[in-house]
Amino acid sequence: MDNQDKVQKFDVMVIGGGIAGEEAALNLAKMGFKIILVEKDYSIGGKMVHLSKVFPTLDCSACITTPKMSETTREPNITIKTYSEIKEIEKSGNHFIGKIIKKPRFVDEDTCTGCQLCEDVCPVSVDDQYQYDLVGRKAIYIPFAIALPKVAAIDLDNCILCGACEKVCPANSIDFTEKPEEILFEVTSVLIATGFNLFDAGKKVEYGYGRYKNVIHAMQMERQLVPTRPFNTVLRPKDGKSPDNIAYVLCTGSRDKSVGNPICSQICCMYSIKQAQLLMGALPMADVTIYYIDIRAYGKGFQEFYQQTKDMDVEFVKGKIAKIEEKEDGNLELFYEDIENGGKVKTAEHDMVVLAVGLLPNNEIASVFKDEELELDPFNYIKQKDKLINPALTSIDGVFVAGTAASPMDIPDTILSAGAASAEVAGYIRSLK
Amino acid sequence: MENKKQKTVDILKETRKASENGKIRVKEFMGIKKKIKASLKLESKTIPQIIDETKLDASFVTYSLMTMMKYGDVQVDKIDDDDEYYFYKLKEVK
Repeated sequence: MDNQDKVQKFDVMVIGGGIAGEEAALNLAKMGFKIILVEKDYSIGGKMVHLSKVFPTLDCSACITTPKMSETTREPNITIKTYSEIKEIEKSGNHFIGKIIKKPRFVDEDTCTGCQLCEDVCPVSVDDQYQYDLVGRKAIYIPFAIALPKVAAIDLDNCILCGACEKVCPANSIDFTEKPEEILFEVTSVLIATGFNLFDAGKKVEYGYGRYKNVIHAMQMERQLVPTRPFNTVLRPKDGKSPDNIAYVLCTGSRDKSVGNPICSQICCMYSIKQAQLLMGALPMADVTIYYIDIRAYGKGFQEFYQQTKDMDVEFVKGKIAKIEEKEDGNLELFYEDIENGGKVKTAEHDMVVLAVGLLPNNEIASVFKDEELELDPFNYIKQKDKLINPALTSIDGVFVAGTAASPMDIPDTILSAGAASAEVAGYIRSLK
Repeated sequence: MENKKQKTVDILKETRKASENGKIRVKEFMGIKKKIKASLKLESKTIPQIIDETKLDASFVTYSLMTMMKYGDVQVDKIDDDDEYYFYKLKEVK
């Protein structure tokens, strides 16, 4: 009886607070459904909030995302649980029951004003995961400038327990005694919008990521191109030089059986082309070369965007990169198969290389379903039972999927997918009444 | 109120030790911060000039200098004549 009293009841649980989760949650909330949105990170916003601009329109990504984040947090029908993990989900009649663990951030979410005085006094500096390790952050930190909620969190694994933050906090928000909170829930439907994982560039050992500091991955370049960038402008991480000859290596970790990901990631060609255009703006004197297998410019306006980029003198070389070697001055020598000129192996020197890393499935959520199997497709994305007619249906009745949890796709398709999923969820719940 | 503020970290200390990695990173960062500040004390410098002077690892200097810039210790001064390297200077404390 006690437990029953503690159970929080909602119509829908949306798992994941990225663009797909926010879109679906808002759609459903506006239809009058009560939503619980569970996000594993400190802030909602997903990966999109960290991007510079979107292709092919070059609209500011954060300017699109932040109003949606804000609307999600203010919507009365949506309850958000950030820094939370779903431990189990079980089917019980027409409902799902389960448990969420809200992990402690050691800062009171209700009273923290996000003033960052705690950051100023914290002596620890560790890699900032939100800037993809290009700079440091403190052990107590606001995750990123436009985080929602804008509340500090303590990384206890790197905290030296000096207590400086607690002394300086004007709102008395620091609480090192905070414990994980267990939340029991009952929902009618579950919508999975957990997004994707980024391919680990270090797995392509021949490209030298990690060993050669001037080889970075596309998200690191993306961060260098945003206004809240880690450096003062686009710079080489090794020596702070402003690069003037940048290479892109497409299909890093996509269409590549040797790393276990044989499929196309759908977005790498276009985001590389977008970054090339942005680089031409940020570094007008720089040369940009894109090494590709095929350019897949398949969406509305994509081909024109590609053509425009070629007209801006970005060089496109059809060639598969075999290996990259670092020279003494930090420049990089690329060995590639020149496909359009007889397939000979050629070399080219660049002062910075960007690896256009692909998307990988994020299917961890499958393990929380205790009594029924959430099936995966052959590429380990959440299986869409009826891809053409009901794309959000999964193998479990009442569990739906949206966005890149189901397959690689770009932002407009993700938003469309979330819209379709919210309609399917609404139809399902109404069919039970 | 002051007692209450002091209390939570002390309570945690009874059951948990300070992070060893955190201690190493503090020492490391404080050390390089001191060297970079000393290097920039008299005039603004580029990253290669700081590297030459301090004999520290190049990428570590860039990483640390940019972290210092993030936290308001240094700022950009100007760019060199070849438009290759920026000069950085200590931020004036008002």
